[in-house]
Amino acid sequence: MLLTLLAVSFIVFAAFEIIPGDAAVSRLGSNATKESVEALRAQMGLDRPFIVRYLSWLAGFVKGDLGTSYSYNMPVSSMILEKLPITITLTILSMILTIGVSIPLSLLIAKYAGSKFDKISYGTNQFAMAIPSFFLGILMSWFFGMVLKWFSPGGYISYKKNFGGFLGYLILPAIAIAIPKCAMSIKLLRSAILTEAGKDYVRTAYSRGLSTMEVLYRHVLKNAMIPLITFWGMAVADMIAGSIVVEQVFNIPGLGRILLTSISNRDYPVVEAVILLIALVVLIMNLVVDVLYRVVDPRLRKD
Amino acid sequence: MKKWLKKHSNFNFIIGSVITGVLLLTVLIGIFATPYDTTQMSAADKFAKPSLAHWMGCDNYGRDILSRVMEGMGNTFLIAVLTVLIGTVFGVIIGALCGYFGGLLDDILMRINDVLFSFPSILLALVIISLLGTGRLNVTLALGIAFIPSFARIVRSEVKKQCSLDYVKSAALMGAGHMRIIFVHILPNIMPVLLSSVMIGFNNAVLAEAGLSYLGIGVQPPAASLGRMLSEAQSFLFTAPWYAIFPGLVIVLTVLGFALLAEGTTEEE
Repeated sequence: MLLTLLAVSFIVFAAFEIIPGDAAVSRLGSNATKESVEALRAQMGLDRPFIVRYLSWLAGFVKGDLGTSYSYNMPVSSMILEKLPITITLTILSMILTIGVSIPLSLLIAKYAGSKFDKISYGTNQFAMAIPSFFLGILMSWFFGMVLKWFSPGGYISYKKNFGGFLGYLILPAIAIAIPKCAMSIKLLRSAILTEAGKDYVRTAYSRGLSTMEVLYRHVLKNAMIPLITFWGMAVADMIAGSIVVEQVFNIPGLGRILLTSISNRDYPVVEAVILLIALVVLIMNLVVDVLYRVVDPRLRKD
Repeated sequence: MKKWLKKHSNFNFIIGSVITGVLLLTVLIGIFATPYDTTQMSAADKFAKPSLAHWMGCDNYGRDILSRVMEGMGNTFLIAVLTVLIGTVFGVIIGALCGYFGGLLDDILMRINDVLFSFPSILLALVIISLLGTGRLNVTLALGIAFIPSFARIVRSEVKKQCSLDYVKSAALMGAGHMRIIFVHILPNIMPVLLSSVMIGFNNAVLAEAGLSYLGIGVQPPAASLGRMLSEAQSFLFTAPWYAIFPGLVIVLTVLGFALLAEGTTEEE
């Protein structure tokens, strides 16, 4: 895992290295004298060889020093640290919604498999999976914000000022992110539950006198969750990416805002740091999925 | 043909092909003619409500939304098709070679691929765009590159599975070269899997393109794009909600149609 992270960090750093355009020139403007550009390059450390810069950047990353933003001239780490709670909260909220809604709903749907209710929910599900989160966000801010006037779109409340209000504002974006993921989870979970429900151990459990509820929750659900763990693990990364777009819809100054402004400003230290951070999250989630597999499925613990 | 029709005559497939067919037809018509000029502004029609003259209403410049949606659909479809094409061609080549030969290069490539694969494609595309710059061509390239890992992964695992089968061994015994075995013998056998991932990939491409255009780094104005229209419409949600609703609905229908088609074709196999 560490090796993978190293490889990714190298690719990220190298990729931003080969693009044309000099950060020092873009900061001073094209009219700058050669001497001042050279001086700034030396000050920014751009005159050192590539591999030296990569190693010092990497060492800094390990220590938590992510470099200095070109356009804001402040440490990248403090820029990101300030915005990180927003995106993390949004991701966690969407994840809770996805898992919390999809498990009971898919149990319910699986219970009535083949009925009209099952078919209707199948159609709804297909539809929900096709809606991009940002369109859902626009629709919701129109409906709840302008038709019903429940909240003011764009009236983001900082988590430092009012945490309750901040959470309240994040609910709608979280729902917008969660709905397509939730639909996908229900689809996967429904078929997993139905596959499991046809197996011998379920019949055994019933013959031991357990109630439907006990069988479903204690036996079937546990086994049906296994394929879902992979999906949810990957969904975390997707949700972070989704939140980048949805943050724009609801005017939330999160990680997405930083990433987008720094991309348009060609502020590469910030872009690199954000990307590497998300890669780290992806890798950690892969690890968490592996561990969870072992927790849920004892057969995997042997090797 | 009749047999094929019968095989695919399930509900999903029919609905999916109807939706996709209608949308494709609209795109085709849009290439040759749109009801109005897509860039023609008219002060009188500013925020005109949906009516017989303007089926989807007009935007803040009085441009006909239906015409712009048609042009935007064309752009989205073109980008999505090219994206999937890039992703499939390179994904198949890399995946097939890695799966067939294995070895150290396979190990390294797949290790990196694991991370890239779980990295959301829209984010990957964002990074590539920040390297290449914005615009239609760059978005296509970026998304195409971003889609390579997932195709490579699928193809690799399928090729690996096929390699242990007898027909591959007998082909090798009969003296077929590696390239012949990969592209003539194995590839046709993994087509069903590849086909359904191409359809899913197309959907992801449509969604990613719409997302990128919404963020303002996809198709650049004055060219129309569904995602871009949504971001422009957002400022006028109160006065003209239809400006946002119609382009968004078209995205939803496109994705829905293809998802049902993919579902319908895999259901029977």
